[in-house]
Amino acid sequence: MTAQVTQTPPQAPPAPAPARGAAAPGGRMRRGVIDGSRGGMWAWLFQRVTAVVLIVGLMTHLIATHIINLGHLSFLNIGDRLGSPFFVIIDVSLLAASIFHGLNGARMVVLDYWLQSVAARRALAIALWLFGSVTFVYGMWALWPWISK
Amino acid sequence: MSPVDATTNVGAGNWKGLGMWAWLLFRIAGIVLVVYLFAHIVVISSARWSGHSTLNSAFTLFDHPLFVLLDLLLVWAVLFHALNGVRIVLMDFGLGIHRHKLVFVACMAVAVISLCFFAFKAFSYIAAHHAGGLGGLV
Repeated sequence: MTAQVTQTPPQAPPAPAPARGAAAPGGRMRRGVIDGSRGGMWAWLFQRVTAVVLIVGLMTHLIATHIINLGHLSFLNIGDRLGSPFFVIIDVSLLAASIFHGLNGARMVVLDYWLQSVAARRALAIALWLFGSVTFVYGMWALWPWISK
Repeated sequence: MSPVDATTNVGAGNWKGLGMWAWLLFRIAGIVLVVYLFAHIVVISSARWSGHSTLNSAFTLFDHPLFVLLDLLLVWAVLFHALNGVRIVLMDFGLGIHRHKLVFVACMAVAVISLCFFAFKAFSYIAAHHAGGLGGLV
């Protein structure tokens, strides 16, 4: 960013008005420009963290289901896998990470085209957090018969 | 160009070339995967709200060659999204920015090689367990 600032010509045209919904200019101009069009720093960081969890977890999951156990999947086969703490950790972290990563990704798509106002964006974030939390609890409830054995 | 313009114009002129296809396929694969994720949770949870036999009959259906092939498409969506995601994370860390097309090609090579293992397994499964191989589709 610094390089671009130093390349600014002397007769730069005035900056365009901040997008509707961008934070107030002044001391928070930089934050307004970036957060006005993007999803926020923590969501960005957490999207990367969950991406790494998903790459490791999903490869383990896909090799276990699509290569080793292809054609043998059943209620008991899942139970055999979830009998080991390793796969319990993999499956529970996959459940949490995939729900966050998927819903936040869908949110980024929505924010690219719709929802200009801060209130609408906040409402979407709250709705997705609620939906994601309920889905995680539901997923744990679904996995419980295997995990608790 | 003011610093603000420099920020807001990011992306202008990118609607072309390799990067456009990487972005578009990444997004399509992401949407497919998030829809699949919730369908997957519903199917696996059927053992809880319906019974073991419901889940087992779903697995029997998924052993059909058509579903094995659809699963392979899903694996491709995962691999493309994951490896293009690796490229994006590398760019975020400032790694390979000046060779980003090479990084993309390298990531896609890893994705294609990985897909070959899954495809080999899927096709040998279809050939071994379904008489007539793909003829079992109809």
